[in-house]
Amino acid sequence: MKLSISDWGIKLLWILPLLVLLPTRPAQAQSDILGEWSPRVYNDGVDIGDYTGIPLNQAGRLRAESWHPDQIDLPENECRPHPIDAGLRVSVSQLRITPELDPDTGQQVGYRLHVAWQQPEQVIYTDGRPHPSPNAPHWWSGFSTGHWEGNTLVYFTDHLKEAYLTRTGVPRSSKSTVTTRIHRYGNYLNITFIINDPAYLTEPYIREYSWVYAPDQVIPPFPCEIVPEGSIVPAGSVPNFLPGQNDLLYNFAKEYGIPPEATLGGAETTSPDYIKKLKTMKTLPRTTTDHFHRAG
Amino acid sequence: MKPGTFLARAACVCAVIATFSLMLAAQAGTDGATAVPLIGGAGAGNAPQARAEVQPPKSGKAAAPKDFTGYWVSVVTELWRYRMMVPDKDDYQYVPLNPEGRKVAALWDPAKDQASGNACKSYAAPAIMQVPGRLHIYWQDDNTLRVDTDSGTQTRLFHFGSSAPASETPTWQGFSVASWQGAENVDTRDGQGGPVQDADGRLVPGRQMRQADYLKVVTTHLKPGYLQKNGIPFSANAQLEEDFDTFTDPYSHATWLTVTSVVTDPQYLIEPHFMHAHFKKQTDNSGWDPTPCHADEPR
Repeated sequence: MKLSISDWGIKLLWILPLLVLLPTRPAQAQSDILGEWSPRVYNDGVDIGDYTGIPLNQAGRLRAESWHPDQIDLPENECRPHPIDAGLRVSVSQLRITPELDPDTGQQVGYRLHVAWQQPEQVIYTDGRPHPSPNAPHWWSGFSTGHWEGNTLVYFTDHLKEAYLTRTGVPRSSKSTVTTRIHRYGNYLNITFIINDPAYLTEPYIREYSWVYAPDQVIPPFPCEIVPEGSIVPAGSVPNFLPGQNDLLYNFAKEYGIPPEATLGGAETTSPDYIKKLKTMKTLPRTTTDHFHRAG
Repeated sequence: MKPGTFLARAACVCAVIATFSLMLAAQAGTDGATAVPLIGGAGAGNAPQARAEVQPPKSGKAAAPKDFTGYWVSVVTELWRYRMMVPDKDDYQYVPLNPEGRKVAALWDPAKDQASGNACKSYAAPAIMQVPGRLHIYWQDDNTLRVDTDSGTQTRLFHFGSSAPASETPTWQGFSVASWQGAENVDTRDGQGGPVQDADGRLVPGRQMRQADYLKVVTTHLKPGYLQKNGIPFSANAQLEEDFDTFTDPYSHATWLTVTSVVTDPQYLIEPHFMHAHFKKQTDNSGWDPTPCHADEPR
């Protein structure tokens, strides 16, 4: 059958509106967070027994008290990467953010964060893909999906391996999830973390850190070599403190004149109302002002 | 040409025009974005030509993209021992003090401050968001967002659309200029062609304006005071830049207020000093506990 021009015209009338549905705008690029960022991170929580400001529950406190600084020297821990939520918070370290591209199409599917110290990386998918099954493997930096809320990249991370909230053994379980917000204010980059952990926290734990735009920054490689087993810590042993036997636990409280109970954290201690209670609590005699038990 | 053919071609032309109009409209309808007036090729060397109707600027209150009003309570999860207690003299581990700043910090004498009427030096604008307590934020008028603190019973006024008068007297809360930030042009190119052109063929630098979504406050005219309770100084030359944001955490459903403060002080700091404060929204004024300034207490 031969179609006349008027027939083609009528068919075009049906086809043309469909063109409206074709992609007509960029899929990303709300606020330019890409590039090199220099840290302005204040790394508190580096003293053994300093759990201040952490809404820790009793189970978390028990795990934290059992931690021994020599655990860092176990062969399996020497090159263990920080999960990125901890890496961004507890190591004062450069940050690089790059677009994450689909290897086949070249289209941007998200963002990749790279931290200098121990080189943890995290991919944040913004292409709408679902999270894997709860039974899927967990990773040091978990699995993250995000979206833009105005100028803020908001992303949710699960499938995290068990790790630490601080460098001195306050635990974060593999059940934890992290909501992260990245916001650029001019040449400052802010990252806010809200960590939820049904195993060790009673409330969401919020922290925030800043970076400064540093386009000329060079991030060096971070080689890590595992020393032979037994060369630092006796082979087969795992340094630890049994419950009630951590003789380092209250040195932080002594050093700074803080009531020992307050140094062990808990949601109550993060409220301004706790200051009244602090005034009624006893402190230990200040026998030292040295920071020799710092492990950070 | 037959009349039917002519009509069909005319219909095709109209359809094409309508389609491209719809495509442009779709581009302008990006989530969270609003169309802005076309500016004739300012970035392409053409003479700027505003084509939109001139409208009077909105007041700070009318333009507010987010609601910061209400009662908020501090959640102290960072630098706890510096905020919930009075740190020792000379404990300024996280402050980039220069040698002159260290000398001044070493002179800290809270009893002397209390006796001389200077107990509020550690409740000044650069420090007050760090002091544990509650905030009451409300619109004093259409262009003034007011922040009352129960700790130290301080008041901060964020002025929209005005700058500090030349004769402004320095105070511990200074003069704060506020603006809604985050609005900027968004490049609408879709990767399939060159820059967008308007109907007259002029290059359009940006066809969409992302909406403002945070509050920026710049405070100057500060009377010298303390960055921390233990006498870490800031000078009269200090400038405070703050970014306020609010959001609801989908996990806990709590509404948060985050405040990022950056203090620049060439007299006492070697580089800008960053601080963060977090507040949870309260449904009412429970816990509101106005206190006078105390030179030797955390709040």
